[in-house]
Amino acid sequence: MTNFVDYLLGGFSNGAVIALMALAIVLVWRSTRMVNFAQVGQAMFTTYVALTVQQSSGSWVLALVVAMAAGLVLGIVVFFLVIRPVKNSDSTGAIIATFGVLIALQAGAGMIWGGDPQGFLTPVDNSGIEFAGRIWPISLYDILVLVVTAALVIGLTLLFTKTNLGLSMRAAAFNPEVARLSGVRVNRMLITGWAIAGATGAVGGVLIAPVSTISPNSFDILLVFAFTAAVIGGLDSLIGAVTFGIGTGLVISLVSGYSDSGNAPIVALVLLALNLLLKPDGVFGHHGARSV
Amino acid sequence: MLHTEDLSVSYGAVQALKSMNLAVPRGEVTAVIGANGAGKSTLMRTLAGLVRPQTGQVLLDGVSITGKKPEDIVRMGVALVPEGRSTIPELSLEENLRLGGLWRDKAGRMESQQKVFDLFPILAERKNMRADTLSGGERQQLAIGRALMSDPRCLLLDEPSLGLAPLIVTQILELVSRLAKETNIAVLLVEQNAVTALRVATTGVVLNLGEVVKAGPAQEISSDEELRHAYLGY
Repeated sequence: MTNFVDYLLGGFSNGAVIALMALAIVLVWRSTRMVNFAQVGQAMFTTYVALTVQQSSGSWVLALVVAMAAGLVLGIVVFFLVIRPVKNSDSTGAIIATFGVLIALQAGAGMIWGGDPQGFLTPVDNSGIEFAGRIWPISLYDILVLVVTAALVIGLTLLFTKTNLGLSMRAAAFNPEVARLSGVRVNRMLITGWAIAGATGAVGGVLIAPVSTISPNSFDILLVFAFTAAVIGGLDSLIGAVTFGIGTGLVISLVSGYSDSGNAPIVALVLLALNLLLKPDGVFGHHGARSV
Repeated sequence: MLHTEDLSVSYGAVQALKSMNLAVPRGEVTAVIGANGAGKSTLMRTLAGLVRPQTGQVLLDGVSITGKKPEDIVRMGVALVPEGRSTIPELSLEENLRLGGLWRDKAGRMESQQKVFDLFPILAERKNMRADTLSGGERQQLAIGRALMSDPRCLLLDEPSLGLAPLIVTQILELVSRLAKETNIAVLLVEQNAVTALRVATTGVVLNLGEVVKAGPAQEISSDEELRHAYLGY
């Protein structure tokens, strides 16, 4: 039982990062009805940027802020350079183009920063907290990860539900024609969606980097987990992405704890397949949300 | 006033509107009637900017809005309530309304919202409900309300009777007709249901295969039996 509780607790911060990546995938899906497989590549790239900032300034907070800004910009750049020209022809082409972006980002990062894994310093202690006579599998850093994730999720929720920008973005996602007829500049909303997704993914990258180290391919596995969480959550649901992102983190932790961490991606894919068989709209998805 | 000069629209080889001249004066309802495929919806979508005309012009109070984007046309004062369920079910009633005039300042928006609630009191009662819990008639009122939130000079209504009980349609259209008179809005109403449309309209326009067959006082058109048999099918 102690093991079970420990495994579960150990999965939360990893789950939070998966939730952020899943959120990024959902934000892009909501704005342009396509999956951006370059999302983790963008996060990897901005994390390298953050690493450079941290190494030269020593500030983790500054590194996080710069990563978010870089994520915004990179989201817009990817939208304009690749997605927009391809999307006009067909959406399968655009999805394949995102794989191209992923590979280009990985190659580019390798050329700039090299292929060796690099360490990212944590701003607070990353060893298990001692409390009530034992060491728990949760560190101060894990708590920081959860706090930052919660703050971002709350911020996004407020943006979408309380602001005019958020209302415009939701309208543009649900019904572009009615949105345009209501005066919403839909194209701008799509770009904003990509930009916010880029910044969200960037935060996820900076948060996971100290735990996983960073190399051009180190986030690839994150794509599998985040994609699984986003799809099971319904692809257009922010709550779904967060819930199943954290859920996926817990499952990975349990699977790794009781068997071997190499089994985690297999379990994730099995869950994904089961979900597609049993509840193809996702748990939180609207009916038909995934039909393009 | 909204008017078109020689407006033509084609979809490939099919010409949906042929050199159409139409005037929609302020303060009254102008009804465009005609059978399926007469070009009614194409006309509305072209006026709102969703379809680009091949030739001709659309003018609002003398200023050309031809070829502008829908999001700019609504800001200039022409609001379309498209055919069918044009509310967004995932948003609340209040959000659907608010969406209609997001670019305006808050005072103006509040004023318009109050006008909408005065016109359709049921919307004020159901303010915080999701749009998909509303009845068909309430949803149509909401769709019109959203268009009115842009404080339009010209309101375009595309088949508002679709799927609604005749009594509800008449009620809604009579309110719209009163609104046109009281606030000096130009209303263009497109309807397959000619009887109801001509009852609330001042002017009637009969459309057939993309051409204006006849335009004149609504009463004259509804009492013209030949016209009715030939184009309106009743």
